[in-house]
Amino acid sequence: MIFQLEVGCRLDESLKSLGVLEGEPMKPIITTHDLTKRFGDFAAVDHINLEIMKGEVFGFLGPNGAGKSTTIRMLTTLTTPTEGTGQIDGFDIETQADEVRRRIGLVAEKLILYPRLTAVENLMFFGELYGMEKAQLVARIDELLRMVHLENFKDLPTGGYSSGMRQRLNIIRGLLHDPDILFLDEPTALLDPQSVRFVRDLVKELNANGKTIILTTHIMEEADELSNTVGIIDNGKMVAVDETAFLKGKFKCETLEEVFLELTGRTLRDSASSRVAMRRTMGRV
Amino acid sequence: MSNGPFHSIYIAFRIAHKDLLDFWKAKMLVGTFMLMPILMMAMFGSMFPSTTGTSNPYRNAPMAMVLEDHGSLAIQAGDQFKDIASSTGLFKVRDFPNYESARDGILTGSVKGVVVIPEGFTEAFNSHRQATVLITVDDTNAQMGAIIYGEASSIVGAISDNLGRIIITKMGIASDPSFVIEPISVQRENLISSTTNSFEFLAPGFMALTVVMGTLSGLASAISREKEQGTMDGIMVAPISRNAIVSGKMISQTVRGMIQAFTILGLSMVLFDVRVYGNPLLMVGVMLLGVASFAGIGIIATSIAPEQETATMMMLLLQFPMMFLSGILFPMDQLPVWLQWIGKALPLYYAADALRKIVVLNASLNQIFPDAGVLILYSLVTLGIAIPVFRKAMTR
Repeated sequence: MIFQLEVGCRLDESLKSLGVLEGEPMKPIITTHDLTKRFGDFAAVDHINLEIMKGEVFGFLGPNGAGKSTTIRMLTTLTTPTEGTGQIDGFDIETQADEVRRRIGLVAEKLILYPRLTAVENLMFFGELYGMEKAQLVARIDELLRMVHLENFKDLPTGGYSSGMRQRLNIIRGLLHDPDILFLDEPTALLDPQSVRFVRDLVKELNANGKTIILTTHIMEEADELSNTVGIIDNGKMVAVDETAFLKGKFKCETLEEVFLELTGRTLRDSASSRVAMRRTMGRV
Repeated sequence: MSNGPFHSIYIAFRIAHKDLLDFWKAKMLVGTFMLMPILMMAMFGSMFPSTTGTSNPYRNAPMAMVLEDHGSLAIQAGDQFKDIASSTGLFKVRDFPNYESARDGILTGSVKGVVVIPEGFTEAFNSHRQATVLITVDDTNAQMGAIIYGEASSIVGAISDNLGRIIITKMGIASDPSFVIEPISVQRENLISSTTNSFEFLAPGFMALTVVMGTLSGLASAISREKEQGTMDGIMVAPISRNAIVSGKMISQTVRGMIQAFTILGLSMVLFDVRVYGNPLLMVGVMLLGVASFAGIGIIATSIAPEQETATMMMLLLQFPMMFLSGILFPMDQLPVWLQWIGKALPLYYAADALRKIVVLNASLNQIFPDAGVLILYSLVTLGIAIPVFRKAMTR
């Protein structure tokens, strides 16, 4: 029997159909085994083993240069691992990359939008990359634009949008093909409080409708509010993976931020890893 | 969702369509892009004047005449020179009292050359010996010097011919004076029905250069730019063939290059009187081959360059020597042999050569096959290396 969640109903039926089976034990939708990425001698990600359950919001945290983005890039098939394996919904991230790609949506920190094109032109282009039929895509775009209140701006170039509007569009771009799993990388960075609230509510809503969400953020209260489970990575290694409440209890901390600083220390990160990350984001990807 | 070869082809065209739409929306960029070939043609076209007809840039060039001999024949020859020079509009001749003052005229720039009828000119005639005329030109501009020297000496030649005819007639030789003066004459039979001008040499070369270089640097910067702004991730994370991504980029850049190339051709036809004798489809075919032969190099550059700026610089570095070494601006035969070898190692030479043969000489596919063969070989080798390099670089 499908477990139907009652939500604020701005989402379409297809989103709702992704419910979890009632009574069934939670099963991992993302697993990694000794996943490693080296840049030369430097291990940006060092033998990490993860299990992310279907239907959860997984807060993926870590200081700058800890290996978050590299892990996300490997899981989203944008970078190949140097060692180890990863599966998404049972498909291998290296050998079955296209199957993986159909099941994931990426909302990267850098906006994946062409500023000269309108919202509709952007969404049509990316939707067609997923092989979606034109008519189906047009309906889907209308629906998603309404969901993020951009329907009145759909024919304007996105370069003229405010940061909040751009991010809302960026998020629905990742949802076009209705993926089971959504990777959200810093979705509220540099947004105004209204937009932050909207995005956080949207994440909750999407999760309530069955989407598994991997959320990367530096805002600890955001991770605390949204995630069921958090994983903290530091120097390429996972230093903790557990339910938020459990971690707070374990380290006798009131907030997730305290847990985070307890585990990763208070030293500023100017290590070689940041330099590697910088070089990589400068284009060597 | 399909993922067969047809879907990949569709995706390649979809990516190209997106790129072109994005390009079209940048109005100022489009304007600059269209202005570029117009400027190139106008500038380079005027830089290389031909010596014939109205396109001679040194018409009515100031010329000095020094009569060192004051005999009747010398004066007569000087007058004839002036008559021919002014009636043909080649020179404006002024008299100078002596060679030194005329030479000063060259140094100060008031004249471009000196014609001297030296002492003993008339006497040589009277004693039935060959007389001499001296010509000095401004050698600071070698090309102009050569043109002025050529024209001045041809006027002297014409005067000499006339005198020859008179002498032969006076001598009472019964045959045609032309037979005695010039027993063999040369007649030029052109490959094409009209005379060529320098634009006919330049236009096909520029077309090849624009398509090839536009595509090459466009491809490198287009991929690098998308990597930098992050949109490439959005494409790479979709379940599409990596080759479709590269092909899409190649198609959009090729279309842009073709638009520029045909702008060059159109302008050359309208403004510079270039006539196209060849088959336009064959021209498109050769340009596509030119693009294919360079695309691999562009893809390798964008794969190894850390960012867009470097990729663009790398392409400029390649573009600059190619303009000079591939016979685009001037015939390759004017280069030293070792530079010719370098030029011939670059595919642009073959693309320009084939295109020129088609445009000017109406060459057929068979006649340009050696050029086309080299281009095909180049394409296969460079793309064969580039595609795996690109795949690897994109998932590094």
